Amino acid sequence: MAEAATEMVKLTIDGVPVEVPKGTLLVEAAKKIKQEIPVYCYHTKLGPAGLCRVCLVEVEGMPKLQIGCNTPVADGMVVHTRNEKVESGRSMILELLLVNHPLDCPICDKGGECDLQDYAMAYGRGASDVADPKQSKPKGVDLGPTIVLDEERCVVCQRCVRFDDIIAGERQLVVKDRGHNDIIATSTGDPYRHNFTGNVTELCPVGALTSKTYRFKSRPWDLNRTETSCTQCAVGCRQFADVRYGTLVRTMSVENDDAISDGWLCDRGRYNIGYLGAPERLTQPLYKQNGQFVQIGWDDAFALWAKAINDARAAGKAVGALGGGRLFNEEAYLLGYVMRALGVKNLDWRTGRQLQASPGANASYEALENASSIVIAGDIAELAPVLWLRIIKAVTRKGARLVRVGACGAAPGFAHTDVTNAGEAAQAVAAEGGVAIVWDGADLALGAALAATFASRSPLAYIASEQSNARGAEAMGLLPTDGGADFTKIAADAANGAYGVLALFGANPLRNAPNAETMRGALQATPFTVVSELFMTESAQAATLVLPAKSAFEKSGTVIDIAGDLLPVNASLQAPVGALSDLEMLIGLAQQFDLALPTSEELDAAVIARAAKPLAAALGEARYATSEPLAPSSSRSIWDGGGTCAHDDRIATLRREPVKVGA
Amino acid sequence: MRKQLYNVGAILKGLSITFKFMFAKRPTIEYPSVKKQHAPRFHGLHELRRYADGKERCIGCELCSSACPANAITVIGAENTPESRKSPGERHAARYEIDELRCIFCGMCEEACPTDAIVLTPRFEMADYRRGSFIYAKDRLLVPPEAGVGTPPDERPNGIPADLGRVAEVKSTIDITAGYGATHRGEILKTQRRGLAG
Repeated sequence: MAEAATEMVKLTIDGVPVEVPKGTLLVEAAKKIKQEIPVYCYHTKLGPAGLCRVCLVEVEGMPKLQIGCNTPVADGMVVHTRNEKVESGRSMILELLLVNHPLDCPICDKGGECDLQDYAMAYGRGASDVADPKQSKPKGVDLGPTIVLDEERCVVCQRCVRFDDIIAGERQLVVKDRGHNDIIATSTGDPYRHNFTGNVTELCPVGALTSKTYRFKSRPWDLNRTETSCTQCAVGCRQFADVRYGTLVRTMSVENDDAISDGWLCDRGRYNIGYLGAPERLTQPLYKQNGQFVQIGWDDAFALWAKAINDARAAGKAVGALGGGRLFNEEAYLLGYVMRALGVKNLDWRTGRQLQASPGANASYEALENASSIVIAGDIAELAPVLWLRIIKAVTRKGARLVRVGACGAAPGFAHTDVTNAGEAAQAVAAEGGVAIVWDGADLALGAALAATFASRSPLAYIASEQSNARGAEAMGLLPTDGGADFTKIAADAANGAYGVLALFGANPLRNAPNAETMRGALQATPFTVVSELFMTESAQAATLVLPAKSAFEKSGTVIDIAGDLLPVNASLQAPVGALSDLEMLIGLAQQFDLALPTSEELDAAVIARAAKPLAAALGEARYATSEPLAPSSSRSIWDGGGTCAHDDRIATLRREPVKVGA
Repeated sequence: MRKQLYNVGAILKGLSITFKFMFAKRPTIEYPSVKKQHAPRFHGLHELRRYADGKERCIGCELCSSACPANAITVIGAENTPESRKSPGERHAARYEIDELRCIFCGMCEEACPTDAIVLTPRFEMADYRRGSFIYAKDRLLVPPEAGVGTPPDERPNGIPADLGRVAEVKSTIDITAGYGATHRGEILKTQRRGLAG
């Protein structure tokens, strides 16, 4: 295969000589000379289907026009994409595609970024010879919790059907009925619902499939687009944030993002944006007096916090800080910096159920695709959905072997082997080629066993962490080094009243820590607890001082995904007035103590230097161990979002069913 | 002496012009008690029209706001529900606001409109005391169902839209102290300003 791929073929497109590998399709070859061949059904990631016929080209020596999307190049081929014959054929096809198209562009959400609009303007005749009235079909059909289907607009390119089959492995969408009556529907008639439904709205070249959340909210030319990274899980897909009038109206995937997301987004990454404008967002620091929260100013909040730290030191009590996965690298680094400058060593980022950050230097997402065996432990499809798409790709299209160890959620619809322990997994994997381990990080013993079993195969390791920037926090040194207490010890000691001040940044341990009960006791027994949060979470309720934080769409910084890539997150929205980022809060605290802080250049340099250093430790190694053993997690899902999903009623409807993971 | 006679001639010549204009037809009119007839297609204040069945013509497509060279129009679309069907299709304008102070009355919105919903009427008297009250929202732009429905303003019997009295009436009831705050555009400006201050 490798030899055949390198064999080059010479041909001429529009008089320009092109040299491409054998087997290349004409549409792709034409891209080399920046010549566009219009396509609807063809998509780089879905391959040719030969349905829409709009990509007609003339190949000299062939009697009729050929379709560019499904004609492979041949040596000496002479291709014309722009001559009169091609243009007349193409405009005929467009006329036929528009026979039943309602041309309701003014009310169509796709209008302005629609391929049918663009090509009809560029290649169409501008008139039709069809005198019969257009066929009327249902509009605004409710296809599922996320998608609205307009049957009149559909050109039956089947991109959505093929996405569902090839990429998502779900096979829910089909073409129902034939001829002019064909429509897109789910095969069973059930609502269209899985973790990746939103992608079909982007694939659809017309306005047939549109998002419910974005319906009639805006026109594409109104949007201010920011390229950023998704922080809803630890995969870190590139995404566009589209803002209109200070409201995030939609997020879109980045199509050529091959390194991270492969061009897809999961539904939670795409649709969990409702919480940003929720009325219950905190916008004012709250201080608990006599059991009641009162609003105070930021200056007072910093002064109270600093005074509490001084009081605790004077009383000989300990001070601790826990930073969760919502912190960006800069914030995690500065939290460590400020706390250490204040002499606080009791620092930890591990507050959720997952206690791991991925090690491994060369574990890129693209490398996972090329592994010959993939061993998964835990419900990866729920925890890292877009990573799961890579696994589907590796298994169904690249021939990798999938081995599932222990309870891994619902069985996938393709070949896999279920085993119960690491030893059996070693038997089940392919004898040759690379091994990739994707572990949910819950069961430490299983992780260690997998690491030991596959050590000789030097596996790629990915830990699908529940906390989005766990790896960043780990790399930034938010750990109890220099003899500090880790989070189980902090919780246990604080519950016994040993702590004077406890700060929680971007963490809600009362919701998702395995030792939530000890943690509750710790927050109650500590006289001064600071929680930085977007909402009045369980942990915030128990705090003395609640600081309103900015969301990931409202601040800029970097995160590290589970493959170790340093990803920029760019602010696309203005935060509610009164909210500060965790970075600004730490600066405010440092000013109370007149601490010398790194300049922003020094901060960036420190983050980049630390991010570049791979985490050397292997899976399940001792340094991940906590002072007290923790039970593996019981139930986790991507449909939690660190509690943010609870603030958007619609998100609850997207879930297929509650997923129970683990014993 | 001759010089003085020459002066009398000049004075008479000058005065003749004065007297000529004194008895000529006056070009000015006694506005506002007398009003001039405008050209039928004079570009004045906008209005949003309805269909004969009372449904709004506007579908909230925002083509007017895209065509507007002065960026004076703000449209926010929304979906028609079976309970509240405002326009014939699926979409209607939930908010439609024109900042008449920004507007240059060029009529591009009229030309861009796919449903002939927005039209410029000959009405030009919009003077007011507050800037905020120049943002016309749907309450003042949308014609009441009974006013000249289906006929463009220049084809209506009296040439001038029949809802002029109503416009003034609505305007007098608007709480002008709320100013920009009463409108969506104003809310945006306020947040932006607040953001800059913060």
